[in-house]
Amino acid sequence: MTSPRILIVEDEADIRRFVRLALEREGMSIFEAATAEQARIDAASRKPDLIIVDLGLPDDDGKTLIREVRAWSSVPIVVLSARDQEAEKVDSLDAGADDYLVKPFGVPELLARVRAQLRRATFLSGGGEASSVVRFGMVTIDLATHEIHRAGEAIHLTPIEFRLLTALIRGHGKVITHRQLLHDVWGPGYTDRPHYIRIYMAQLRQKLEDDPAQPKHLITELQVGYRLSGLEQGNLPSIKPQITTE
Amino acid sequence: MHDDARARTAAELVDQSKPAEHWPCRHAVPGRIMWLVKETGLMLLKADDPTTMALVRSKSKTGGGYVRALTLATIASGCTTLVASVLLRFFDLSNVVMLFLITVVFVALRLGRVAGVWASVVCVGCFDFFFVPPRLSFAVSDTQYLFTFGLMLAVSLITSQLAVRLQSEAKIATAGARRATALARVASDLSGAIKTEQIFAVCRDTLAPLFDARAALILPDQSGRLQRLEDVEFIDLAVAQWAFDHGQPAGRGTQTLSGAPAFYLPLKGPMAPRGVLALESEATELARDPDDRRLLDGCCSSIALALERIHFVDVAQETLVRIEGERLRNALLAAVSHDLKTPLTAIRGLAETLEQPNDLPATEQMDLARSIRVQAEELHRLVTNLLDVARMQGEGVRLNKEWHALSEVVGSALAHTKGLQGTREVRADLPAALPLVELDAPLFERVLVNLLDNAAKYAGPESTISIRAGASGEHMSLFVEDDGPGLPVADTESLFQPFTRGQRESSIVGVGLGLALCRSIVAAHGGTIHAKQRIPHGVSFEIRVPLGTPPELEIERAE
Repeated sequence: MTSPRILIVEDEADIRRFVRLALEREGMSIFEAATAEQARIDAASRKPDLIIVDLGLPDDDGKTLIREVRAWSSVPIVVLSARDQEAEKVDSLDAGADDYLVKPFGVPELLARVRAQLRRATFLSGGGEASSVVRFGMVTIDLATHEIHRAGEAIHLTPIEFRLLTALIRGHGKVITHRQLLHDVWGPGYTDRPHYIRIYMAQLRQKLEDDPAQPKHLITELQVGYRLSGLEQGNLPSIKPQITTE
Repeated sequence: MHDDARARTAAELVDQSKPAEHWPCRHAVPGRIMWLVKETGLMLLKADDPTTMALVRSKSKTGGGYVRALTLATIASGCTTLVASVLLRFFDLSNVVMLFLITVVFVALRLGRVAGVWASVVCVGCFDFFFVPPRLSFAVSDTQYLFTFGLMLAVSLITSQLAVRLQSEAKIATAGARRATALARVASDLSGAIKTEQIFAVCRDTLAPLFDARAALILPDQSGRLQRLEDVEFIDLAVAQWAFDHGQPAGRGTQTLSGAPAFYLPLKGPMAPRGVLALESEATELARDPDDRRLLDGCCSSIALALERIHFVDVAQETLVRIEGERLRNALLAAVSHDLKTPLTAIRGLAETLEQPNDLPATEQMDLARSIRVQAEELHRLVTNLLDVARMQGEGVRLNKEWHALSEVVGSALAHTKGLQGTREVRADLPAALPLVELDAPLFERVLVNLLDNAAKYAGPESTISIRAGASGEHMSLFVEDDGPGLPVADTESLFQPFTRGQRESSIVGVGLGLALCRSIVAAHGGTIHAKQRIPHGVSFEIRVPLGTPPELEIERAE
């Protein structure tokens, strides 16, 4: 596989520089744009595998750019924002972004998010039909048979808990807003009742996480939504097969 | 013997009444009438119920009233005649005359002047007709009786006049006393008022019933325009504004804008006009009756004084707040400039050292770079706290509350302080069945991050930090504890004052802003935060927030 192509849209030269250096060290090809206009051209001509967008661009709002790109491409988009207002994050996620980083962010955090998005993209385009079994941490889930095991032990989930888990698995690696989750799991009439998700997420964590207060996979993005991290495809040899697939 | 004494008394009385015919001596009479009244056991004044504040308004007697009074006077005279005819069997005629005299006085007191005159005429007539020989005739045989008649008529007329005057004077005195009581009541009610709303209440509840009217206060805004503060339909702001601007009464019953339905009185304080009092009453003479006007003016000055007092209390309070704000801002600036400059200096120095890395070993260079990162993170925390403080002060603590699972807020705070925790063990022990609490999650997370940050800074690298929570009764308690050396000060409350740090001039950066911010955030949630020394060592911070009633949740059907 050729090296991933990343487009950085950021007007501050120093931030562009360290992001470029960090990503190039990971073997990625970098294109830089300082304005929304330049970004529109590059997004179409360079065919990037991932776009990093700063929300505060000099010539346009980053959210507008995200909506435009989303109209014709499903390329992963990671937002950089200096505004740590939760509404701003939710808006950009609803506009089509997949993840966000709040300035000031660290290089390890940036790399982790970029890698997660690239992995997710290959996961979706690649082996979607290979297996109905996914796993994170000690938990394996068979999406076909609805069987769930944690460290070899069968776990019982209620129908809503299972629907919530599958919604998280579908959007794994990206931040899913409360609205989107409520809409997917409960239906359109429930989008203004975030306490539903909070109750059910707490239950899911109790059943699936080692330390529910410090979750490693069912991560809370406070006031914004949730993300499922560390999802992998199929059974890995390191874990004994606990479930019988078809 | 007995009869003798009575006869003498009556003669004396008639004797003493004589000077009353001469005007210069009339002042001597009321005292005697009082005596007379006392002796006869009559109540001169009817004491009104003192709790009713409404003033007695003298109603002009209608024609029907006169007819009734004259009828009663006639009946009284008739009864007296009957009684006298019985008494005449035992007493002398000159003594029986006294009975008629008393009747006249009594009628004059109770039924008024006209009835008194009428009663004296009827009594003299009856006396003559029934008792003076020849009986059952108006003819008089003994001319002495003519003198008695004249004297009796004169005494009757004078006593009735005097009795009526006495009664009206007593009435005026009572009314005056009531006015004085009313004014004192209004003044004392106003003296206790410390808010404008209380003055409104005094006008509505004390002043208005006093004048049998509806009362409303109209107060000006900063620019001197009167504002409609109460929802009262009879107020005409234009008329009120005129009264306010000119300092003169206006509206109904006055020279100015008399077409208005209400009467407007300006409230003149010693320093400036303070507003307008509007009164709306069924009676038209509200503005004209001089006694009412005096009372009204008295009330108005009391109200104006109270308004002025409140105005200056507000001014004093504002000044205090401004001074306090100024003091805080200065302290904040001093503390912030120190704490911002420290990491900035370090970052600059470290970066400049790295600019010429020739003589530095690679490990040293990495160390310098790491120090720059740590300092930058410190700076970030500081700036975040500052921005939160500014936001909370600027927006007046506007919370964006939602029903949250405490475990999520704790989890998020732990995730955000991961870099700080290093090798420390952090335990979170939260019951699975903890109810949802209504929180502004990002702000509440800020509280936890600050507490965890403090614990990491002050408890030492070997310490264990633990977070516990529990719901009991009306509250949810959350504990953030460490087993470090504990608090350096005995007075744990002082830690929550802005810009206090446990150790003075400590090398550990961070304005004493963190805990002060924690307290204002928790307080905005209606909760409390306190610090306690742990035994044998360590610190325990306890946060208590009220448990509300979480929103309804449709229970999932059991499979």
